[in-house]
Amino acid sequence: MTVTDVLICALGALALGSALLVVSTRHVVRAGLWLVVTLGALAGCYLVLTAELVAWVQMLIYVGAVVVLLLFAVMLTRAPIGASDGLDRSRWPAVLVGGGSAVALGALLVEAFRWSSIRPPAPGTAERIGAAVFRDWVLPFEVLSVLLLAALVGAIVLSAPRRS
Amino acid sequence: MRGGGLAKGLAITLRTMTRRAHTAQYPDVRPDLPPRSRGVIALFEENCTVCMLCARECPDWCIYIDSHKETVPAREEGARARQRNVLDRFAIDFALCMYCGICIEVCPFDALFWTPEFEYAEYDVRELTHEKGRLREWMWTVPPPPPLDANAEPSKEAAAARKALEIEA
Amino acid sequence: MGRIVIELLLRVAGALVAFLTLPLLVGQLEHKAMAHMQGRLGPMYAGGFHGWAQLVADGVKFVQKEEIVPAAADKTVFRLAPAAGLLPYLLVFLLLPLGPGLVGQALDMGLFVVLAIVGVGVVGMLMASWSSANKYSLLGGLRGAAQLLGYELPFVLSAASVAMAAGTLSLPGIVEAWRPWWLLWQAPAAVVFFVSGLAEIRRPPFDMPIADSELVFGYLTEYTGLRFALFLLAEYAGIVVVSALTTVLFLGGWKGPFADHQLGWLWTLVKVFAVSFVVIWVRVAYPRLREDQLQRVCWLVLVPVALAQLVLTAVVKVVL
Repeated sequence: MTVTDVLICALGALALGSALLVVSTRHVVRAGLWLVVTLGALAGCYLVLTAELVAWVQMLIYVGAVVVLLLFAVMLTRAPIGASDGLDRSRWPAVLVGGGSAVALGALLVEAFRWSSIRPPAPGTAERIGAAVFRDWVLPFEVLSVLLLAALVGAIVLSAPRRS
Repeated sequence: MRGGGLAKGLAITLRTMTRRAHTAQYPDVRPDLPPRSRGVIALFEENCTVCMLCARECPDWCIYIDSHKETVPAREEGARARQRNVLDRFAIDFALCMYCGICIEVCPFDALFWTPEFEYAEYDVRELTHEKGRLREWMWTVPPPPPLDANAEPSKEAAAARKALEIEA
Repeated sequence: MGRIVIELLLRVAGALVAFLTLPLLVGQLEHKAMAHMQGRLGPMYAGGFHGWAQLVADGVKFVQKEEIVPAAADKTVFRLAPAAGLLPYLLVFLLLPLGPGLVGQALDMGLFVVLAIVGVGVVGMLMASWSSANKYSLLGGLRGAAQLLGYELPFVLSAASVAMAAGTLSLPGIVEAWRPWWLLWQAPAAVVFFVSGLAEIRRPPFDMPIADSELVFGYLTEYTGLRFALFLLAEYAGIVVVSALTTVLFLGGWKGPFADHQLGWLWTLVKVFAVSFVVIWVRVAYPRLREDQLQRVCWLVLVPVALAQLVLTAVVKVVL
């Protein structure tokens, strides 16, 4: 067990625990706050795996923007302090789907790698990611950006006031 | 120009910063009050004849006067003994006083004066009734009246005195 | 190993000392500069000479005050919010370069990290606003979230412009690559960065989330004592962070007229305080923006300018 192992186990446990709290807490806003912890722990995992850029993108986009937007929307509509009863939660199907996909993914990973050890790739610096995105994967990247643009235009069209 | 107001705002604040502040550092630096400031009312006890005009004119009834009569023995043989009012108590309740100054206006003997003195706050409202000793002490803080403007008419008193002198001559 | 640990501890301690002193200095500067700009004197008694110890006295007072948590509040979140609001700024202090080699932790992606961390600061504000169980707090928090989501965009875009010009994301690297003529070339980005930085730390004229004349005190309404002081400290630390970032990205960091290597830290500090002064100056000179004006400035002025600057940077970069 190296320091890296300990760190990644601790962060993984933190992410898992807080993720469980996200889906099990009956405080609506607190669920959002636990999500911040989950995503932060996940970013920590990336950091330990030397994927710096991914880690900080995770912080900037998911914690800084997505969760904030989520909290914003929750607070704007209905955010009682304290536990709220009657949350529309289908417990058993959720357990089934969540647990099933987790087991399936885990099995897939175990099956794929077994006990083979992999040499960790060089640290994910900005330069390397940039080179990969803009040299090897330019086409998918550009296609993705067109997709995003389409989504943006769609959002504008949907939210524009209708002229009648 | 559009946006010129933004620059102007910055310029004004910066200019104000380079000038001296207007703050009066009161407890450290005494304020320089004008002579006619209505701080508190002082009593020139020696001039008071207990005519009670001030107490009666006071809209708030905040002046308390007690007195007794004394007999002054006759100065000459065969003359009548005179009586004189002696002031026992003169108090102003500054909790009631509204600083209208009517008592000062109405006093025919120049016994009441405005002074700029203003530090007479007390911890109890009842202690704001100040007695004649305190009122007499404030007389020392009464500033001399400001000089008249150049070419102004002389005061009534001065004019009367000059006239008297001229007649005498 | 031992030496590395000691050096790391020293750097962290240095960042902590900077975190505890610089915001206080800026706070004092604000007290005095704002007072004189309004024709007042500001604090004059605490500490004897021109009230230099006013903020220390304030701190002592805040510590003595009663800690009040509203009965209807979500108490845990309410108590944690000031820490969540303050911690990001503390981390940023670790990454800001003071001089050549004088940095808490030089990261390859320093700029990106700093922007990510500053963006997380909003969570503390949202926690405070919601958990107070006060409608004014909640309104303040919602305004703040809307404002920060909007201004994050020009903030990041203008920083991206300078990173593109320097060809690196490392903060010391950007300072190394910086040349005086960038002052002109990157001027629009600098203005956009500074303005959206002001909005990011919710300083007047972008203080709609606090707006004491309409929302009592926004998301800080229910806070008292030490926790309120922590929020205030976060505000002043935010001024230092935004000033330092502007300095590092657009004003050449430790580069000065002479002796960059010996006096670099001094040039950085001088620039940081000059920018902080401008932050205070803007607060005194301008009234608060209305909510719709706030969003207009962001989306119709700052974002287009930042995008145009990106194009300009790219063109110059390709041509040269």
